[in-house]
Amino acid sequence: MGKINTIEVKELTKIFDKTVKAVDGISFNVEEGEILGFLGPNGAGKTTTLNMLSTLLRPSSGTATVNGHDILTESDDVRRSIGYVFQDTTLDIELTGEENLDFHGRLYGLDRNVRQQRIKELLELVQLTDRADDRVKTYSGGMKRRLEIARGLLHHPKVLFLDEPTLGLDPQTRRSIWEHIQRLNQENGVTIILTTHYTEEADYLCKRILIIDFGKVVVLDTSDNLKARLEGDVVTLLFKNPKEIETFRSLLKNKNWIHQINVVATGNNYAAMSRMIQNIPGRSRSMNMGGAMPGMSHRNIGDHKKTTKTSQRKTEQSAADESLQFGGKTCPKCLNLLVDKGGHRIPEIVKLADEAGVILESVELRKPTLDDVFLSVTGRNIRDEKGSIVDMVRRHRILRQARGHKVKG
Amino acid sequence: MVQPLSGQAIYVVLLRELKRYWRAKARVISSVAQSIFFLAIFGLGLGEFMGGIGEIRYLSYIAPGVIGMGLLFGSVFSGVSIIFDRQFGFMKEMLVAPVSRTSIIVGKILGGATTATIQGIILMSIAGIMGAFTISFTFLGGAITAVGAMLLIAAGFVGLGVAIGSILNDFHAFQLLSTFVMWPMFMLSGVFFPITGQPLPLQVAMLCDPMFYGVELLRWCLLGTGTELLGSFGWLISLAVVAGFDAVMVSLGTYLFSRSQI
Repeated sequence: MGKINTIEVKELTKIFDKTVKAVDGISFNVEEGEILGFLGPNGAGKTTTLNMLSTLLRPSSGTATVNGHDILTESDDVRRSIGYVFQDTTLDIELTGEENLDFHGRLYGLDRNVRQQRIKELLELVQLTDRADDRVKTYSGGMKRRLEIARGLLHHPKVLFLDEPTLGLDPQTRRSIWEHIQRLNQENGVTIILTTHYTEEADYLCKRILIIDFGKVVVLDTSDNLKARLEGDVVTLLFKNPKEIETFRSLLKNKNWIHQINVVATGNNYAAMSRMIQNIPGRSRSMNMGGAMPGMSHRNIGDHKKTTKTSQRKTEQSAADESLQFGGKTCPKCLNLLVDKGGHRIPEIVKLADEAGVILESVELRKPTLDDVFLSVTGRNIRDEKGSIVDMVRRHRILRQARGHKVKG
Repeated sequence: MVQPLSGQAIYVVLLRELKRYWRAKARVISSVAQSIFFLAIFGLGLGEFMGGIGEIRYLSYIAPGVIGMGLLFGSVFSGVSIIFDRQFGFMKEMLVAPVSRTSIIVGKILGGATTATIQGIILMSIAGIMGAFTISFTFLGGAITAVGAMLLIAAGFVGLGVAIGSILNDFHAFQLLSTFVMWPMFMLSGVFFPITGQPLPLQVAMLCDPMFYGVELLRWCLLGTGTELLGSFGWLISLAVVAGFDAVMVSLGTYLFSRSQI
């Protein structure tokens, strides 16, 4: 039996102000009961796509069906079929948790008994029963998020849109929300589209991942298949002297067993990372927080010269900010290689370095992650994005709270 | 495009307005206190000094206008609060639901009109306690009619608030709105002095102020009389203008709201 497509998207396009193509002719299907991840940097077109699928925005061209209903002609049926958990909180903080759910239930026309029954169940599911009568303004960020997810499910939607469900949350809360999402999907069979720019999140939750960049679908496949595309292992070299990176890179360039070379920061090897962070002034503090959430950050070799020139200045402010938010690090002392049979090639790499008089501080070997996949298919790092003003403001706010002092700029 | 109305949606939006009103005690208290100051300082203080307006005590004369002030500020604020709903995201929750924007805005207008009227009833009671009205059966009938008039007056101003809130996107404009829209409307509404005998330009300005007719209507309900300028059918003229203002503002608010972006 063939799988049913709950969502079918055909050539969906959104152009803002006649020139900005936020979403550029994307097509894909989502199977019933699937969790599909939209992975891409801020501004890639993830939220715009969800807004079109939820009929909040009218597409410039193309169309889609959600639960069999056309988003252009049957918008009420579409809205009845979906639950949407927005990126920013959309709760009424003057109302209690229970009242927020009650409002939603009435708005979707649920009658009293059904409403009360479901509110009770959902509050238990997201473990907010004992806070149900408190006003939402007294809730923590994680509690608000859980309440919103519960609200999104109240009218038993066929499809749930989760826009950056764990943005700005601490690792424990993030983990608990992941578990909730997984349980909902397994127990209720609800089809989920989740947007994120955390590769770990996409990897953990999603069966298939759609990588979106500049409004286009770059690739759509399962996480394992995506990683399998990158044959070989990732070898990360940490140099003592950053000036030697260029020299060494040219030595490696014509080795046919090296598929890709990138300037990179490691995230998986905490010890190596700590060491390299300590060498950079003003970073150690954010490191503690960033390190709790493994991730890595790359820069393309082409950008390298520019990067090193500005890195000193960047180090002081924005780079530290980025890393705190995303757990990624930009490392001006690293080189990242995608290598066949990495383990076997390490001696050769070390020998080459010795012969060239280049001093390596450490060598790390690991399997490719989704970060590597993203870098490989889009040619840029998922964390190397220039967000919108709103995102920047939000990021600064989160940072300010986390650090307890004002962020410059 | 015809947008179907949903009674349930209208009701729930209205219910939310009431809950929020009830919880924003500081707003209620400050607005009531402000009106008491007006009644006490102008009605009693200034009134004792300059005597009444014709046969009417000055306190009684300004009482309907002060009630009108409560209505005006309360209802415009309710309408403009869609800016806050948008800013704090709750608007998206309403817009993504399978109900028409018209239902949402009708609920908002009814809710705003109801809360403003509650405010008006509180002020009417306070004015009564301060001795502004001669309590009689005729007055009680008038007071009940006044509640209806308050709803009618408030609805138009919530519509105006919604229209403004749909165009303006930040609440810094709020101060401007207060200085250039609400205060002039209040000052020109004939709260403190009769329109008759004023210089012509001022009379014209007052006749252009929709709130002028609102205050007139309340005076007819609560004092049984109105300005000589509009004659003995002044109440009917005022009622017609208020109803017309409602129709225009509710339509304008609904129209501007339905084409505003999220």
